[in-house]
Amino acid sequence: MIQNTKCECGHQNPVNTVLCESCGKPLIEDQSMETLEMRYDGAVRRSQRENKTIIDRVWSFFSSVKVAIYLIFFTLCGASLGTIYPQESTFINIDPSTYYPETYGTMGSIYYMLGLSHTYETWWFKLLLIMIGTSLVICSLDRVLPLYRALNKQKIRKHDQFIRRQKVVYTGDIKEIQNEKDAELWVNEFSGILKKKFYRVTTDGRSLLAEKNRFSRWGPYINHIGLIIFLLAVLLRLIVSPWYMEEYISVLDGEIEQIPGTNYYVENERFIVEFYSEDELSEKTVEKGKIIPKLFATEAVLYECVKNCNDPIKDPVLEEVKKHSIQVNEPLEYEGLLIYQMGYEETPILNSVNATLKNRESNEEYGQFILEMDNPKSTYEVGDYQLELIGYYPDFTFINGEAGTKSSKPNTPAFIFSIHGPGMPDKGEINMYFPLPQHKVTYQEDQINIAAGSTLVIDVESMQDVDFSLYTSFLSARKDTILPMIWIGLSISMIGLILGFYWNHRRIWLKFNKNQLLLGAHSNKNWFGLRKEVAQALHKSGIEVEAKSLENEVKDS
Amino acid sequence: MSLEQISNTALIAAFFIYIIAFFMFVISITGKKWSNRDPEAHMKRWSRFAFGVTVLGIASQIIYFITRWIYSGHIPNANMFEFMTLLSMMIIVGFIIIYIIYRSAGTGVFALPVAFIVQAYAMVFPWEAEPLIPALQDNWLKIHVTTAALGEAFFAVGFATGLMYLIRTVNFSGTSKKERRSIKGVEFTIFVILVVVGFIGSVFLFNGMDYHAEFSKDVIVPAEESELELEQVTTENVEYTLPPIVKPYNSEIVSMDSYFGIQKPLFEAPFWMQGVNAGRKLNTVVWAFIIGTLLYYTLRLILRKPIGASIQPILNDLDPDDLDEISYRSIALGFPIFTLGALIFAMIWAHIAWERFWGWDPKEVWALIVWLFYSVYLHLRLSRGWQGSKSSWLSVIGFLIVMFTLVGVNLVIAGLHSYAGV
Repeated sequence: MIQNTKCECGHQNPVNTVLCESCGKPLIEDQSMETLEMRYDGAVRRSQRENKTIIDRVWSFFSSVKVAIYLIFFTLCGASLGTIYPQESTFINIDPSTYYPETYGTMGSIYYMLGLSHTYETWWFKLLLIMIGTSLVICSLDRVLPLYRALNKQKIRKHDQFIRRQKVVYTGDIKEIQNEKDAELWVNEFSGILKKKFYRVTTDGRSLLAEKNRFSRWGPYINHIGLIIFLLAVLLRLIVSPWYMEEYISVLDGEIEQIPGTNYYVENERFIVEFYSEDELSEKTVEKGKIIPKLFATEAVLYECVKNCNDPIKDPVLEEVKKHSIQVNEPLEYEGLLIYQMGYEETPILNSVNATLKNRESNEEYGQFILEMDNPKSTYEVGDYQLELIGYYPDFTFINGEAGTKSSKPNTPAFIFSIHGPGMPDKGEINMYFPLPQHKVTYQEDQINIAAGSTLVIDVESMQDVDFSLYTSFLSARKDTILPMIWIGLSISMIGLILGFYWNHRRIWLKFNKNQLLLGAHSNKNWFGLRKEVAQALHKSGIEVEAKSLENEVKDS
Repeated sequence: MSLEQISNTALIAAFFIYIIAFFMFVISITGKKWSNRDPEAHMKRWSRFAFGVTVLGIASQIIYFITRWIYSGHIPNANMFEFMTLLSMMIIVGFIIIYIIYRSAGTGVFALPVAFIVQAYAMVFPWEAEPLIPALQDNWLKIHVTTAALGEAFFAVGFATGLMYLIRTVNFSGTSKKERRSIKGVEFTIFVILVVVGFIGSVFLFNGMDYHAEFSKDVIVPAEESELELEQVTTENVEYTLPPIVKPYNSEIVSMDSYFGIQKPLFEAPFWMQGVNAGRKLNTVVWAFIIGTLLYYTLRLILRKPIGASIQPILNDLDPDDLDEISYRSIALGFPIFTLGALIFAMIWAHIAWERFWGWDPKEVWALIVWLFYSVYLHLRLSRGWQGSKSSWLSVIGFLIVMFTLVGVNLVIAGLHSYAGV
């Protein structure tokens, strides 16, 4: 169908234009007086072009708001499915193929089989997000350019039809106006009133165009740009692997550990846990016997390896780069590397004891020595005595009736000494020593030593002589190079939302046909405010009208 | 009086003040037809009174908030009781803002009940203030939770006015399929609200009667979770404060007060409700439905017509277009605030505390779902011209999703956002 796209005002419009780009006359001939569809000021969008190529078809598909709404809706439904059962990623060490059926029965196995146990990593969920991203780009481009052009070249004098078919309309005869000169004067006075309401007013004889807050129209597009940047950042984070690192480290009190894949080492100098005291808690909580932690922190030192790194023979040379007390809300930060406190576990492990050598009968003390669980010395000098270590079992147990060790961790440390000195036999007196009291009882230390004829006892005086590592601190190290881009995207998006929602673009067109005043007004949202403003402006120029009555009678159903 | 007592008293006072303000808003509209008065002047005077009383109510609630902050040492938004109270307070703030813009007394008739029902719901949870666990000891607790609650409060006001629009415009004598569906929809929404009221009512009723029952249930601890690496059977006990209609699956009575002459639970929870608490939660839901249904049908019996049809005359003088506009405006005001509070601030805090800005935690996902839903609402309205009843229905559904995110996720799904007392 060949369309005559030339408007009666003489302007040549592109095919499928709804409202003449120049005077605003509706180009689709209908006799109705319904309010006009003012989106993008009736300009034609690329997606509405005739003669579609494949690219045009793809463009049309993604430029459709309807499609965008469906995409958002599917994403919303898909995302909710992932919250039915905990996702795989919330567990550290499970086999999902057995975990879900065992924990949740048949529903669990269906959940796992459908891949919902990792909903947010499935191809279809990622595809939805990519499609939303595409839709954001195309929808925005398809609309923002025609809108920009339309708003940039507005004609002041509009067609009668255009004004009469706005949503906010006022028509009335003004008796005082006798000629063109009067009308021009009235328009000038009215423009003064509107200027006080912060409108930018342009007049053309007896016609007027007033506009304010046009920037608010760009709000949605600014928001979309922000979201696109955000989504791109997330995508880049997945693709460019060196930009993102995530490692978990568990460090014992007083130990030092390398952060895997880096030259950094983190030391847990001291781990602190504090609990709320009973008078800080409510009675009910105390009754229930709940204990609530008040603070837990790793007093950490970060080292960087400067020499002999990754050398299996030599020890690496470390240089301290940062000291920080890592708490839940206070990660250690060093050149883009962030170390977080994830949690802790009570893991009492014995480091050393300050042992005393005594006489079994008289309790006479001969001296003290520090016995380390990790690499004990082969001999210790205590007073006049010499203790020769002839056996060390860090994790003592009986293997086929013989003494042995289960592991190299000092869980059940046991020592066998041969003691030389005054009153000792030549080949030495054999003494077995369990530093931890509970093991003394279990393995009958006293009975064994008495049976072996030992006259001496090795013991600790008090708990102050025992050095424990009490806690393992769970830390997580992250590097997320793309993070600034994420925050920038979100900030832009937020600015767009604020511009778009807390201001609105208002326009008022006005013209005189003899002494008949024709006024139409348009806002992209908040019609209530616009009507109120127009009614106030009219009131100031002597026309009394109820704000509500400005609403165009013809309802668009 | 201790600070704690002052605080609790101020909160209870605020609750009753809101109820009074609600009745005053109702009178401001219904009283117009009373004899010997000018309808306009009556409405103006009474709605001004009602608004004043509402402001008094929020002042009292602010006293609660400040005193509680002082005596507990942290901002009161850390457990379910505190958060729901904050939400109720924010709904009033949202209502006050909307009222100042539109001066619509009708909004009060619906927004105030939403606020005091939320407040009553809060009061069901333990009132005690607990000190903060390390993860919550941060300034972001103040910023994130408060802004998110304000955004959600605007959605609540949007819901209240959306529902008003529906009740105002539904043709209750209509017989066409579409009209009958709308009537059913409105009645169902009212029924859901009454179920919530039923839940609150049953908790207060039986707490007042000091009801107690206890059950024990054998729980099998799988080998890999037990210390001795052997399958173990442990006994867990659960305490009921509502009379047990449903007992936990496979459980024994430890003790039980009789109620209405009933000595034993009537049913057992289905086998797939494994946990000992699942039975208790199911029992609570059953009670909520029983009392809600009783309330609904008693009201219908008294009114002799659909409840919506009985409310409609109150709203007859209100312009439906205005209601539609107010509903949309409050959602449009709330959307950026919600985005900032529930998503952006949440991401910043998650980045600081949980070593990632986004982790698909159920609460995060549901906040995203709320956000996606309201962006669908906005796109449908702005680009596809969904106005009036369609968009009002969306505002009602949207608020249901908000409530699920705030309450349902904690009760049903849990995850990282577990508050004390839930």
